[in-house]
Amino acid sequence: MEDLTHRKWYSGMTTSEDWWAVWLGLAFFFLGLLSIFGPDLVGWVAKPAKWGGTVALSHGLKPAGKAYKSLGPWGSLFVTYAFFTVATCIGAFAMKWNVKKYFIGWTFIFFLTYAIWVFFHHAFFAANITNRAKFGLDWSLSLGGGASFIAALAIGLIIGNFFKGFANFLSEAAKPEWFIKTAIVYLGVKVGYMAMKAAGFVFHLAVAGAAATIVAYLIFWPGTYMIARKIFKLPRKTSAVLSSGISICGVSAAVATAGAVRAKPIITVMVSALIVVYAVIELVILPPIFTATMMNQPIVAGASLGMAVKTDGADAAAGAVLDELMRNRKADMDGTQWEEGWITTSAVMTKIWIDMFIGVWAFVLALVWVYRIDRKPGEEVPFSEIWHRFPKFVLGYFFTWFAYLFILMVIAGGDAHAPIVAAAKVGAKPVEGVMRKLFFMLTFTSIGIITDFKKLAEARFGRMIFVYFVALFIFIVPVALIVGYIFHHGMMVPIVTS
Amino acid sequence: MIEFTLIHDGKDWIAENPQIRVAASTLEELDRCIKASLIREGAIQPGEVKKVFMAFDNATIPQWIRQYAPHYFNRVLKVTLALPDGTITET
Repeated sequence: MEDLTHRKWYSGMTTSEDWWAVWLGLAFFFLGLLSIFGPDLVGWVAKPAKWGGTVALSHGLKPAGKAYKSLGPWGSLFVTYAFFTVATCIGAFAMKWNVKKYFIGWTFIFFLTYAIWVFFHHAFFAANITNRAKFGLDWSLSLGGGASFIAALAIGLIIGNFFKGFANFLSEAAKPEWFIKTAIVYLGVKVGYMAMKAAGFVFHLAVAGAAATIVAYLIFWPGTYMIARKIFKLPRKTSAVLSSGISICGVSAAVATAGAVRAKPIITVMVSALIVVYAVIELVILPPIFTATMMNQPIVAGASLGMAVKTDGADAAAGAVLDELMRNRKADMDGTQWEEGWITTSAVMTKIWIDMFIGVWAFVLALVWVYRIDRKPGEEVPFSEIWHRFPKFVLGYFFTWFAYLFILMVIAGGDAHAPIVAAAKVGAKPVEGVMRKLFFMLTFTSIGIITDFKKLAEARFGRMIFVYFVALFIFIVPVALIVGYIFHHGMMVPIVTS
Repeated sequence: MIEFTLIHDGKDWIAENPQIRVAASTLEELDRCIKASLIREGAIQPGEVKKVFMAFDNATIPQWIRQYAPHYFNRVLKVTLALPDGTITET
């Protein structure tokens, strides 16, 4: 059993999902990085490709790296399963989960996810005007990879809501936060990779995203707190916990705030359940609405999602759906092909800035609550609370980002065409591309499996449901769009040049 | 420093270490019970100030929520037992 009273700064490094996202992310990042010395050690990962029409299903899955072509689709899938099963089972064992239950659940979720991923790459769903002729089609839905994301979520929701016993069994392996945090570490590779092509743009995106932090903490939180207290007359602690959940970063913010204001855990549980369900609703409805209305401001749309959609999983997932929908709509509109990943990055970068300061915000709230509101005699607030609440996966994200930036700016002297940069890209591409999307897909399936809409009807959320609805759609989303426009307007997604 | 593990069982806050176990419905009441227990056990003497550290056991939080945030909160409490003349010594 963990020694709770003698917790050090490094405690939890082998036992928390947050840290295991870092280890899982860095393990494959380092394998990929070895390509600068020659070998491609990550090209085995199975990559779905569009199929259908004149292109056979056998072309729907292949190894990401040319060096692994001989593996074929099944060999590549098996190797991918073997690598990630071993890696995640080690994590499950270290975190003291039921490894047997995890293994069975993981195996089901892994193969279900790949089946959905491949099937929904059928050209009818995924092709757009620039490539549908290749499949002999006159028309397609132009959803790109977005069809797979939406289908994974939908099938996960069917399991979570209609096969509850099975969903409960799978819950040991359905870990959307672990999966998405791992995907975000891989996204760091993507951002570093993108910086090799457009360093100035990435820097601008990062700085503009930082502004969102101010908005979330100083505009959203007080506004939502006032709505909860003045209009809906909720108790002070419940209002504070709910405000953090709705306006900052979902469940993690709600838990941090509940701890800061010394709320009973039942408040955390109720607010968290509400957030998870609302996050799925946001994830489903906001990307199509933004795609229909904001095609001239794609980065504003992505950044606004980062401010509006709560929980890292739902935000990154919504960003990925928006990325696919907008790029394919753009191609359908005028044949322009936007580069993949920029819209997702704008959504995630905004959220990561917000995540990083939750520990500081909870510390400030704890000071206010302990010294000004509750005034309990003799109680102090330990400074170490900031570190305990710091999201550790962010370290992995920045590490992988800066590692590739270091290769470009220092080792290659800023020359994007240097041989070492080309070699680094060989190992970076499967990690930032296929592995990142695989963990996005696993996140979508898992979010669906653990989301039970009946909780909304069963639990006594009462007025909290209405506070959430009013604050989100009448206050937060409009303000997020305005702030996103102020800081990101005019930024356009780079166009594919080759 | 005197250390406790802190949990909430759905009704009461419970602070526990190998020697002492106290439960109360509010944290204010819990703090009073802890002070009374420390005096009863002789863990604090007149004129002393003792620091009490309470580490929240996250097992109280359902597992599906723990993936979002692995830490709830820890508390530090200064317990004072003054001498009859009002003087104290920090230890």
